Parts: sequence; structure tokens; C-alpha cells
Amino acid sequence: MTGEHRLEFVLSAVDNKPDDYLIKPFSLKQLSSRIEKCQIRKGYIANIENEIDNGNFYQAIHHCERLLQQDDKKMRLQILKIQAELSIKIGDFKKAEKIYQDIQQERELPWAQLGLGVVAFCLGDYSQAIITFQELIEQHPMMLEAYDWLVQTHEAMGNDKYALSLLSSAVTLLPTSFLRQKKLALLADKAENLAIAKTAYTASIKLGKHSVHRSSSDYSGLANVYLKSNAIDKAHQIVRLLNLQFQNDPEALLRAALLETEIQQTKGNKLLTQQAHKKVFKLNQQIDTKISRDLRMEMAKTFYLNGNSEDCDEILKDLVKANIDDRLFIKDIVTMCNSIFFDKSYVENLMQTIKKELADTNNKGIKLFHEGNTQGAIAFFEEAIAILPDNHRFILNMIRILIHDMKASKPNQELVMRAQSYINKAIQLGIPHDKVSVIQSALNPFLRTNN
Amino acid sequence: MHSIDFSALLASSVHDLKNSLHALRELIDQIENLFQEQKPTELKQLHFEANRMNNNLMQLLTLYKIGSSQCTPTIDEHYVTDILEDVVDQHATLLTLSNVELITQCNSDLVCYCDSIMISSALCTIVNNAHRYCLSKILLSATQEDDYVVFCIEDDGSGYPENFMSSDCKQLHQIDLVGGNTGLGLFFTKTIAELHVKAGKRGFIETDNNSQFGGARFKLYLP
Repeated sequence: MTGEHRLEFVLSAVDNKPDDYLIKPFSLKQLSSRIEKCQIRKGYIANIENEIDNGNFYQAIHHCERLLQQDDKKMRLQILKIQAELSIKIGDFKKAEKIYQDIQQERELPWAQLGLGVVAFCLGDYSQAIITFQELIEQHPMMLEAYDWLVQTHEAMGNDKYALSLLSSAVTLLPTSFLRQKKLALLADKAENLAIAKTAYTASIKLGKHSVHRSSSDYSGLANVYLKSNAIDKAHQIVRLLNLQFQNDPEALLRAALLETEIQQTKGNKLLTQQAHKKVFKLNQQIDTKISRDLRMEMAKTFYLNGNSEDCDEILKDLVKANIDDRLFIKDIVTMCNSIFFDKSYVENLMQTIKKELADTNNKGIKLFHEGNTQGAIAFFEEAIAILPDNHRFILNMIRILIHDMKASKPNQELVMRAQSYINKAIQLGIPHDKVSVIQSALNPFLRTNN
Repeated sequence: MHSIDFSALLASSVHDLKNSLHALRELIDQIENLFQEQKPTELKQLHFEANRMNNNLMQLLTLYKIGSSQCTPTIDEHYVTDILEDVVDQHATLLTLSNVELITQCNSDLVCYCDSIMISSALCTIVNNAHRYCLSKILLSATQEDDYVVFCIEDDGSGYPENFMSSDCKQLHQIDLVGGNTGLGLFFTKTIAELHVKAGKRGFIETDNNSQFGGARFKLYLP
């Protein structure tokens, strides 16, 4: 519920996609009627929402299809909307496109038009996506979701400067959106627009103060902007703030140490640079929690620039291995390496080596399976996935072997649930729908037996 | 000579007035709760006038936002019965205070494509007016007529004055200081109706005195 009429408050309420909203003044009867209607709606789609909460998107779609067969005209459009969104989640873009197109044939609705834009983006048809999102913004100048997608599309096309100006417009409409300010800061940083980056990082720090999304990266981002603008003292102030505000956050302390290295390097203080660098090294050894991959990439760069190519090498190998299927992140690694390494063939050789290593690991597991040692193969891939949890091939092969095991022996609930959770992980990782749908279809009979 | 942005100034003032009015309405409710049995008739008048002021302010704010492109309709499919129920719910307090009967009539399958909050506001505006001028009865109905969903509000009052009986409400009419009729409500509903467009067809309103109860009749056409 909102008691505010001011644009930024109404927009921020709508931005959070509530089930419904009321504008004051409202009567008690109005409120109770709306809540009742909301409860009825929620009750109707409870099965769908439960499956979505558990990441079981195929099962959620199955529930959508069942409800649509019941032909409740009042709920039809809402179920179709959910089904289309789920289809996008699992990568079945053609299905989502058909749903949105059929709706648009009946009646042009902004959310269906947005959906078509999203589908065009996912299918890589960026020009069509741009046309769709731009049209939406012309008709609905306050539709922030359309701005977000238009920004993403231009970014994907490499039009960073244009994406930046669009995102600035969206942030002007709703300056209190923490996540948008954060995104603006990162984009401005990338496009080397220091003025916007500085304003956006400052806003992110202020807005994120009591937010669950609060992160030391906002502080380090701002400090970096100050460094690039030669405002060394200001950069130093931010580093002190970082150490103070995030005393128990190992990642924050690491960021602070990395910044210290850069600051001292900029000042030309060799001794202090070395000391700061040693601190980075020591912290890296001490930290036993998982550090974000972007921070690790920064560390690799710092190690190399300070003459420590061995540790740089180790981090880069690790990063490439763990993220081999993430094209965008691998591209970032390649860009970073090419900017600092003299030897431009280094990263190409590294990729080849890692790909061979991973292929060998995969083949070992498959060999166990072909030798009839199913349990051995399962244990092998379990260990491989524990080390490299985002590896597409390991996950797909693990699921296939689990299903084979179910067919060969008496399936049990635990095995079925395990297979399903790997399928959900596969969807999350963006493994193509044509690969995942086949194995989900193979698992479905076991799910039905278990239920 | 200072150039003053009156529209922004007015919008900001209207917003402040709404806040004060809200506080006033809360006080009226508190005073009402002090009377267990026989409530003074003045309370009913207080409610009506406060409600009317609030509606006028809301209309002004919405018109300002539409004029400055801060408010575009969010079109979605809605069941007409839900919209009518919402209008009735909004009038729940006033209905309990007066002897006016508000009846709704609509096919339960009737669907329209609109910004339901805007349409609900538009209908409430007309129902408020009808409440003021009717004797005892208001009928709120909706039907499908060719390519339009038509909302109809009929009362048993004395009907619209001559100069309000036109679908062409381009200008706000001359202020009637005695009756207080500025035509703002009709202008507001006309503006809302016209925001709804489909395949070149735009929404519109019609006013006449052909109510089945002998009073005013208002019709809102949505494509």
C-alpha cells in the first residue's frame, strides 16, 4: 500500500512488482476486498508458486498447463503470463514468443509487448528488441522495465555510451532505486564517464546503507574513480572508510588492501606499494571463504603488475576452470589479460590447456560409466561438481547417469530429488532448453511414480 | 518579472492540501466514534464535503500528471464486476451514512481492457456527483455495445443542467458559484476515457437525462 502520490514513491512501489496496490484514501471495505481477491488468486496459483520457489520450473509449467485446461476465463491471462515467463526461464523462447503473440493478437497489452522484446533479446535479435522496447517507452514513458531491457540490449551490442545515457534517464525518473544506481555506476565506470560513476557510486553507498544488497564493491568502485581522477586523498579516505565499515568482511579488507597498493603505486612510493602488496598476499592466504570472481580477477591483475606472475597464473587458471561455460566472464578475462600481458597468446594457450584438462576429467567419469561402474561414475562426478559446480558438461552427465541408475535399479526418492535439483541447477546456469528438456522428460515418469 | 511555473506550483500545493485534508478526515472519523448511537446530521455533511474536496484535489493532481506525461494508462484485462465492486467499496462509508441505494448490474463474464485504477477513479467521480444530486437511487451498470464496453451511471435526481448535456466537454464550463458545478468531474472522466485507445478508436463519454429513473445518465465508452 502506498500513501504517497509523489512520482518517485509510486514508481518505486510499482518497481517492486506488488500483487496489487491502493492509493490513499481508501475505505476499510476496499482494503479487505482487495486482500480477499488477492488471497483467492494466490490460492489458485499456489501449486505453481510452490514449484517456482523450489526452482522446479518444468513442474511449474506443467501446473500452468493443467490450470489452463480447466478453462477458468478469469485467471487465463494471468496463467499465460506466468507460463510465458517460466518458458523464458527454461530457455524455451519460441514457446514464450507464441504465448505473447497470441495475446497480442487478441489485445495489445504492454506486458505482452515487453515479453516479446525480452524474447527477441534472448534469441539475439537485438534490432527487433530495441524497436520493441523503444516503442514501449514512447507509449509508456514511466515503464522502467522497458528502460532496463533497452539498456541491457545496447550493452549486449557494445553500445556502452548509449546504454549509459538511457540508464541515466531511468535513474532520473527513480533516483532511489539502489540496484539501478549500482548498475549505473558500473556502466559509467566501464564507459569511463567518471562524473556519472562518482555520483552513482555515492548514491549507491547512501541508498545501500541499510540494504541487504550493501557491498564493499560500491566503496572500492568510488575509490577507484577518485584514483582515476587523481583525487588521491579522497581515494584514501574511502579506503579508511572501507576498513572501518567492513571490519569483519574479508572481501572488503582485501579490496581495501588492493586499493592501498594502487594508491601507493600512483604516488610512486615503492616501499609502501610493496608493503601493501604483501598485505594483499597475506590476506589472500588467510581467507578461507569464497571470494567473488571479479575481485579475484582484480587480484590476478595486481599480482601480475607487481611482478608476481606465478600467483597471477594460479588465480587465472582457477577462474577459467570454474567459469569455462560463462562466455561473458571469459570474455572479460581475455580483455583483462590482453590489456596487461605482453604475450598475447598467453590467454589463448591457457584456454586450450584448461579445456583439455576438463575434457580429460569428463572422459574419466564417462569411462567409469561405460565400464559398468555406475556408482563409481556418480561418485566421480559428484566430486567434480563439488570442485566446479557451474560446469555444464559435468552436471548434464551426472543427471544422465542418475537417470540410468534409476532405470536399472529400484528408484528411490532421494535419487529422484537429487536428479531434479541438478536439473534446476542446469536451468539456473542457462544450459540450453533443448538439452535440459530431454532429460527432464526422462525424469518425469520417476517423479510421477514418487508422487 | 519572475516567471512562475504555476502548474508545478499548483501540483505541489494540491499535494499538500491533500495531506491536510487527510488529517481532517481522520479527525472527522475520530469525532464520529465519540457518538455511539445518534450521530449528528452535520457529520454526514462533513463526510460528503471532505470527500468531495478530496476527489477534486485528486482529479487536479491526476490531470496535472497526465498533462506532464507522468501518468500513462497501464492497460490490462479486467473483469468489469471487479471494477464495479471496487467503486461500491470506495463509497461504503458514504452509503452507510445516507439513504441512497447504489445498485450494480453487469454480466459476470464481461471483460474490459483498461487501466482499472483510472477507470475506477473516473466512475467514482461520477458516482460522487450522482450521490450529491440524486434522491435515493443510483444504478451502476456495464454492457458490451459493438466494439465498446459501456459503463453507465443513472440516478433519480433532477438531471444535468442544459449546458452539461453534451459529449463535447472540451472546456470547463463557467463556474456556477451557487451550485458549485465547474464541470471538473466530467472533464476528468473525459480525459481518462480518451487515454484509452484501440485500433484508432478512442474512449469517450456521453451525458444526458435519459436515466430510467428520470434523472441524469452518464456513459463511459471504452474501446
